[in-house]
Amino acid sequence: MEKHIVIFYPDNKKAVVDPGTTILAAAISAHIHLNSSCGGDGVCGKCRVIVRSGSVHAEPSGRMTPDDRKCGAYLACQALVESDIEVDIPPGSRLDMSALSKEELELRLRDVYSKAEDISEAMPQLGVGLFQYGPLVVKSYFELLKPNFDDKLSDLERVQRAIEEQIGPRPIHTGLANIRRLGPLLRASGWSITVGLAQNDEAVEIISIEPQDRSKNNFGFAFDIGTTTVSGSFVDLNLKKALGTKAAYNRQAAFGSDVITRIIYAQAEDGLEKLHHAVVDLINEMIEAFIDEFKVDLNDVTCLSVAGNTTMIHLLLRIDPKHIRQEPYVPTANIIPVLKAHEVGIKINPHGLLYCLPGVASYVGADITAGVLSCDMHRSKEVNLLIDIGTNGEIVLGSSDWLMSCAASAGPAFEGSGMSCGVRAVRGAIQGVKITEKLDAVVSTICADKPRGICGSGYIELVSELLKRGALDKNGKINANVRNKRIRKGESGYEYVVSYAGDTAIGQDIVITEADLDNLKRAKAAIYSGISILVRHMDMAINDINAIFIAGGFGTSLNIESAVAIGLIPDLPREKYIFVGNSSLAGARQALLSCQALKTAQAVSKNITYFELSTDPKYMDEYMAALFFPHTDSGLFPSVKY
Amino acid sequence: MADELKLLEKWSLKVHEVKLGAGPSAGGSREIIFNIGGQSSFPFLFKEGDIPNRPLIAAEVLDCVEDDWPVGLRTDLASVSKDPVEWARKMASDSGADLVCLKLQGLHPDLGNKPVKDAMALVEAVLKNIKTPLIILGCGSADKDNEVLPAISEATKGERLLFGDVVSENYKTLAAACIADGHNIIAESPIDVNIAKQLNILLSDIGMPLDRIVINPTIGALGYGLEYAYSIMERAKSAALAGDKMLAMPFICFVGQESWRAKEAKVSLNDFPQGGNARMRGIMWEVVTAMAMVEAGADILTMRHPEAIKIVKSAITDLMKR
Repeated sequence: MEKHIVIFYPDNKKAVVDPGTTILAAAISAHIHLNSSCGGDGVCGKCRVIVRSGSVHAEPSGRMTPDDRKCGAYLACQALVESDIEVDIPPGSRLDMSALSKEELELRLRDVYSKAEDISEAMPQLGVGLFQYGPLVVKSYFELLKPNFDDKLSDLERVQRAIEEQIGPRPIHTGLANIRRLGPLLRASGWSITVGLAQNDEAVEIISIEPQDRSKNNFGFAFDIGTTTVSGSFVDLNLKKALGTKAAYNRQAAFGSDVITRIIYAQAEDGLEKLHHAVVDLINEMIEAFIDEFKVDLNDVTCLSVAGNTTMIHLLLRIDPKHIRQEPYVPTANIIPVLKAHEVGIKINPHGLLYCLPGVASYVGADITAGVLSCDMHRSKEVNLLIDIGTNGEIVLGSSDWLMSCAASAGPAFEGSGMSCGVRAVRGAIQGVKITEKLDAVVSTICADKPRGICGSGYIELVSELLKRGALDKNGKINANVRNKRIRKGESGYEYVVSYAGDTAIGQDIVITEADLDNLKRAKAAIYSGISILVRHMDMAINDINAIFIAGGFGTSLNIESAVAIGLIPDLPREKYIFVGNSSLAGARQALLSCQALKTAQAVSKNITYFELSTDPKYMDEYMAALFFPHTDSGLFPSVKY
Repeated sequence: MADELKLLEKWSLKVHEVKLGAGPSAGGSREIIFNIGGQSSFPFLFKEGDIPNRPLIAAEVLDCVEDDWPVGLRTDLASVSKDPVEWARKMASDSGADLVCLKLQGLHPDLGNKPVKDAMALVEAVLKNIKTPLIILGCGSADKDNEVLPAISEATKGERLLFGDVVSENYKTLAAACIADGHNIIAESPIDVNIAKQLNILLSDIGMPLDRIVINPTIGALGYGLEYAYSIMERAKSAALAGDKMLAMPFICFVGQESWRAKEAKVSLNDFPQGGNARMRGIMWEVVTAMAMVEAGADILTMRHPEAIKIVKSAITDLMKR
C-alpha cells in the first residue's frame, strides 16, 4: 500500500505512515509526544496541531471552532492522514517529556530528598526505631579454604558452606550460569570471592559471584512509578545513603493522563506493549544516567524496589490491567513475588532482582502501602489518616490495631486535566493566587515564570480566594452581579480572568470557568466524602483523628488553609497536618535497605481492609452533602467564614 | 399514660412560620391571609409539639391548557380552562381551595412565548378577582422567568405573594426581586435533602429571610416515586426539628401537576378497562397522592380537580381534630 510522509515542525522529524493513520499515531512513531489526556478520544482537545500543507480528514468536533479550521488547526487524534502533510506543533500541545528541571525537581521533592542523605535517619515521621538495616541484596567477601584430599566438598557446596556459616542454615538458590562459571572463577581468584546474596522470602539466592573483594560495590534503586511522575533514588546499599534522586514525567502520559484511559489504551493493538516500554525505557535511561554520573559498574547494581499504584505496577510488569476497571475491580496481583529485573526488561546486573512493594486493591496500590510504612501508621497507637490526593484520592485511616482504606474517584481536576486552563505542576504553572478586594488576581508561578496555566494547588487557592471575596456563591457559581472587568460571560457560562493574555506565556487569557468550578467541586467532594465515610464507618468523629499525612503530587505547595476553606480536607487544628511528600518513594527506599521493612509492608498490605465506596449506600448522600463550599453542614467547618 | 409520655419525642426547633398574603394594613390588598409552617412536631402528632397551622390547598390555574388534557380535567374544568381569571375566581370561591396557584406556562418559548405584558395583566386581573393570596409560578425557561417574574414581583410589591421556583443554578435574579418587594419564594430541589439545604443557604446568603422560603422537595405521583419524596420530606423534617434551621421551612408539593401526568390518571377507559371510570380514576390518583403528601408533612398542596380538592380538604379537617 501507498505510504504518506508526515513532517513535524519545529522538530523537523519525519514519520512514514499508512493512509488513514491519525496524526497523533504518526507523532508517536516519530518519537514526538503530544498532550493526550483523553487517550485519543477527541474529547480533551489538548493535542491541537496545525496542518501546514497536505490533506487530512477529520469529522467536525465541538472542540474546534470554525476559526480553528480556517487556520488549519486539527485535533491530532482525530485527523486522518490523506496525503503527504506538514504539521506544526504548537508548544501548548507538546507533552513535556524532558527530565524535570532542577527547580521543578526540588519543588516536587521538597522536604523529601537531598542530594545524599541517610535513609535510616530520614524516616519515619512518627515514633522511632522502625528501621532495621538489612538490604535486599548483601555482598559478602569470602576467603574459601582450598579443597584437598581431606576436604573434597564440591565448589558449589564449598561456597554454600561458607554462606551458611555466616547466615545460618537457610535454603540457598543459584542459577545455572553462576554454577557454570564457578569452577574456573574460584581457581583463578585464588578462592577469594565476593558473593551477592539476595533475600527471596525464606531463602537466599546467589545472584553474583565475583573474584576478590568487591563487597563495597553494592548499589540499588528505589523507584516510585506515579501516573504523572516517575522518580528514582540511587542508593548505596552499604552506606545506607541515597546518592541522588531524579524524576521525570511518566511517558505513558502520551497514551492518556489517568490510569483509566491507560487501561483502555492497553486494550488497543500493541497498547500494553507501548505502555510497558514507555515506563521501562524511562527507568533504564534514569538508571543509565546515574551509572554514568557516579561511574559505577552496572553489574554492581544488584536490586531495585518499586512502588506505584496497582495499574502502574501491572503496566511495568506487562500484565494486562483490564480487570482493574471491570466489576468487581479485582487486579491480577496485589503481592508480586520477587522477580528477575531482566524479565521485566530493566537493565541492571543480569541476575539482579526486582522487588515490588505490595498493594491492597485495584485502586489502593503499593504506593499507599509504602506511604503507610513510611509514616509508621501501622505502629501508631493513635488513629491517623493518610491522604494521597490525585486522580484517585486514596485514603487510609487507622492505627496499629486496624487500618481501613478507600479510593475516592476525584477525577483529574487537581492535576489540571479536563480544566479549561489546567496544567500539571510544571514551570510557569500558577500555584498560588491572592485576590485583592478589587478582585484583582496576584499570582505566583512555579519557577516564577510567566503563567502557562493553573495547577492543582493554584486552583485550590484560587477557589478559596474567590469565595472569600464573594465572587462565588457556595455552590461554586460566579456571582455575575458583581461588576468587575475580570468577571465576564464566556462560551459556557461565566468565567473569571486570572491572567490576561499579555501577561502569560501562552498568549491567551487564563481563566477559571463555571465548568472548572464544577469539576473542582466534584473532586473535592469525592475526597472529603471518602474521608467522612471511613471515619463514620469506624464510628468515630473527624476530631478523633490524631494526625493527617498529606502525600502525593501536591507536596508542600498545598495551602492547608485554602484546602480547608474549600472543604477538601477536614477543618482540624492545622498542626495536625503533616506533609509527607512522596511517601511512596520513601517507602520503596526503606524496603530496599531493610528486608524487615519489606516484610512489614507485606503484612501491612494484608492488614489494610479495603472499603468499596461505590457500593456503600451512604456514600452518595455524603458526596451530595460535600458538593458545596465548604460543606452543606457548615458546622463541620467552624473556622471557615465567607 | 405515663408509658405513652415516655415514647413521645421532644424536638428542639420549630419550622419557620411563613406568612402568605398581606392585607391593606400591611401594604397589600388581600382580604384573606394565611400562615403556614410553625410546627414543632411531625404531622398530626399533637402530643409531641405545636401544630398551629393546617395544610393548605392551592388550586392550580394555568394561563394556557394543552390540547391533550386528561378527560377528568377536560370534562369538569371545560367552562373555565380558556379563561384563567374566571378559573381562579371560581376555584377560590367554590371549590374549597384556600388559595390559588397561577402557573404562567404560556410564557415558555415552546408553549406560545407570550409577552411579559400579557402575564402582568393576567396577574393583575386574577388578584382583583380573588381575596386570597396567590402563588405565581414561571414557565421553567430560566431566561424568560428571569425577565418576567421580577417584573411581576415589582408590580405586586407588598402583597406578600409566593413566587417560584428557584433552583441552585438559577436563584439570584428572582430572589433579589422577592427580597426587595417583600414576597416569599419557593426553593426547588430534585428529591435531595442536601440540595434543598444548600439552596436555602444560598438564598439566605444573599439576604432572603429564612421565614420567607418554602421548600419544593419535588414529588412523584402515586406509582411514580411518591415514596422517595416521602422519605426525603421525612428526613428534612427530622433534621429541622432536631435543630437544623436551614431545613426548617414549610413544604409545597405540586400534587395536581404530578398526579395528572401519571398514565393511570390520563388513559381512557377503552385503553385501560381494568382501571375503571377514567374521570374518577384521575380524581382518586390526585387524592391518594395528596393524602400521602399531607402525611409526609406538606404545608401547601397544589391541586387541580375541584372534586379531589373537596375530598382532601375534608380529610385534612378531620386530621386536624385533636
